[in-house]
Amino acid sequence: MADCDNQEESGMKHYCGIFGAVAVEPWPTQLDLPHILTLGLLGLQHRGQESAGIITTTGEEGQFKQKKGMGLVEQIFRNEDMIKLNGNMGIAHNRYSTMGGSELLNIQPFVVNTIHGKIAIAHNGEIVNAAELRHQLLKSGVGLSTDSDSELLIQLLTHPPSCGEPDGANWINRIKAMMKVAMLSYSLLIMYKDVVYAVRDPFGNRPLCIGKILPPSSFISVDNCNEKDVDAYVVSSESCSFHAIGAKYYRDILPGEIIEISKKGIKSCGIVSRPNGKLPAFCIFEYVYFARADTVFESQMVYTARQRCGEQLAIEAPVEADIVSTVPESATPSAVEYARKLGLPYTEIFSKNRYIGRTFIQPTTRLRQLGVAKKFGPLTDNFAGKRIVLVDDSIVRGNTMQALIKLLKKYGAKEVHVRVASPPIKYPCYMGINIPTKEELIANRISLQDLPDHLCADSVKYLTIEGLVKAIQEGITTTGQPIGHCTACLSGDYPVKLDW
Amino acid sequence: MTSPPKQCQFIKQEEVARGNWISLNKIHYSDPTGKERVWEAVYRTTKQSNSADAVVVLPVLRRNLKFDCVILVKQYRPPMKNYTIEFPAGLIDKGETPDKCAVRELKEETGFMGICKHISPITCLDPGVGNTSVSMVTVEIDGDTKENIEHKTNLDDGEFIEVLIVPLNQLLVKLNELSESGLSIDSRVYTYAIAQEQAKHIKPVNPDQEQIEPSISTEYLK
Repeated sequence: MADCDNQEESGMKHYCGIFGAVAVEPWPTQLDLPHILTLGLLGLQHRGQESAGIITTTGEEGQFKQKKGMGLVEQIFRNEDMIKLNGNMGIAHNRYSTMGGSELLNIQPFVVNTIHGKIAIAHNGEIVNAAELRHQLLKSGVGLSTDSDSELLIQLLTHPPSCGEPDGANWINRIKAMMKVAMLSYSLLIMYKDVVYAVRDPFGNRPLCIGKILPPSSFISVDNCNEKDVDAYVVSSESCSFHAIGAKYYRDILPGEIIEISKKGIKSCGIVSRPNGKLPAFCIFEYVYFARADTVFESQMVYTARQRCGEQLAIEAPVEADIVSTVPESATPSAVEYARKLGLPYTEIFSKNRYIGRTFIQPTTRLRQLGVAKKFGPLTDNFAGKRIVLVDDSIVRGNTMQALIKLLKKYGAKEVHVRVASPPIKYPCYMGINIPTKEELIANRISLQDLPDHLCADSVKYLTIEGLVKAIQEGITTTGQPIGHCTACLSGDYPVKLDW
Repeated sequence: MTSPPKQCQFIKQEEVARGNWISLNKIHYSDPTGKERVWEAVYRTTKQSNSADAVVVLPVLRRNLKFDCVILVKQYRPPMKNYTIEFPAGLIDKGETPDKCAVRELKEETGFMGICKHISPITCLDPGVGNTSVSMVTVEIDGDTKENIEHKTNLDDGEFIEVLIVPLNQLLVKLNELSESGLSIDSRVYTYAIAQEQAKHIKPVNPDQEQIEPSISTEYLK
């Protein structure tokens, strides 16, 4: 997306990253766990920059240590926190949403008292049937203190399961009961006593994967490391956060799967299946835009998937031009492949000012457009007098794209052809991606025919839904698991029937 | 002008008994009043001039993502009639420098290969009893090399040593546990543990910290 760092302007806000780490026995561990959790969050910083929180424990019931704050991970966690947060396992959360305001109360992970003791929970996603669930809970006499969905999940978890708990806390059954009532969408980490449960909703809409922290030598040597060399198990929204902590990607948590992570290792505790044999619905926008390029989903690297989108785009929407370029940085793999497929040179045409972050003061459309100019400078020599193909990974409101094209034309570009490596976004998402209202979406305001004129471009073409799905699914090596992606914002096909 | 206070002065030394490794001696000296006194002293027979008798190694193990750890050794010490917890140590061979000796002894006793970072001046070990001197040598160990992950020892005949790896931030607690269980803790090791604990409570001064405070103040909850 043309302004991927400025999520406020692009309007595509996404919730959160979650990260967890459990040291392998013996406890107390010699691993610097708070540091590992901080590094894990840093690796997921792109998923949320507004606030972050870490909760750790030594494993004794009720002994939770927390640190939460507003701002970037590097600003929140200090050396004193690393000492205070010392423990044997922990969960952490990066948050984007502005819902609920800037109160510590709303920063995850949350700690809740249950009849069996305290649990801590970190949640990525949005509950599709939240309104109905909220109504049911309030009716049954439960009081809610926040507007967040995560609280709904917690309340469902604190309900004793119908099968009873004759042998003490049965979190697996409680989690399964919650999953049957709330099917979409969440990746969850639940910490209780000396165990972390990692859960993915039955549709697998939000990502979650497991890694193993291994000694550095195992990365250089060719022979496989022993299971007993594993120092800790880590779980993360994206595998890109593993590199910073010397962890090796192990596998994705399957849709509907509950994984138990303890000092003894990992154990799969069952899979809650989807109703009516439906296919999974992994958010396709994770591939298109949200995830970091070095993350691995479904056994393929996001970078490679984006390359295939670029290639597919070149097949579907070629054009006569002199150079191919993109707006730094997320569409680069698509643009480079598009260029290669058509035999055109890939050239940089923008210089990006890295020191401009999110700004809160951009009230009107006009000022937003000026905002773009201060972030990108034209590399005039590279494009003056030339016909440019500008590849981007998606367009939401279109304001940034319009401003950039005007900038290019102003500085001498002969023609600008926009090629978008994803289909137009037409429908709202209820699974945790806050897309602007239907009215604001450019695909709904302006028809495909009028779009070039509106953006001041010479042509505008999108990737088709079929093309996108093909490009994404081609690289998944099937291991007997069904494959399915959520394209609701593109096609209007929602994985489940909506609340209303 | 007042005259400087009189100092104690060594007079002469008499050897009373001699074994293979140590000898018992009587040290005649004069006290600050000038009176002659005698003190019993234990000397090593292997003593070299211009060199400490032995090195005591302060080995710090560094591994990726793990806390810094100290390497300790547990062995039976006949004079104590007990097992003790000590730093790895050993007598300096003739012509050997303290740093070379430290690296060698560490490798032999614990299997870890380290690099000397600091050598102390010659220090006395138990001056009320004898003149044994040691040099404290700080050695840093990269725990992520293949060799150090395996840490194979090379003990002499008659040496039975167990290696302990203890994180610095857990050292005092661990030593107290070991002491409770009946082991004898070397006082240098315990002193080191106290210093680690004290250092934790010294607040570092960081002038940069003012600039990037987040707008909302942060809280600690335990």
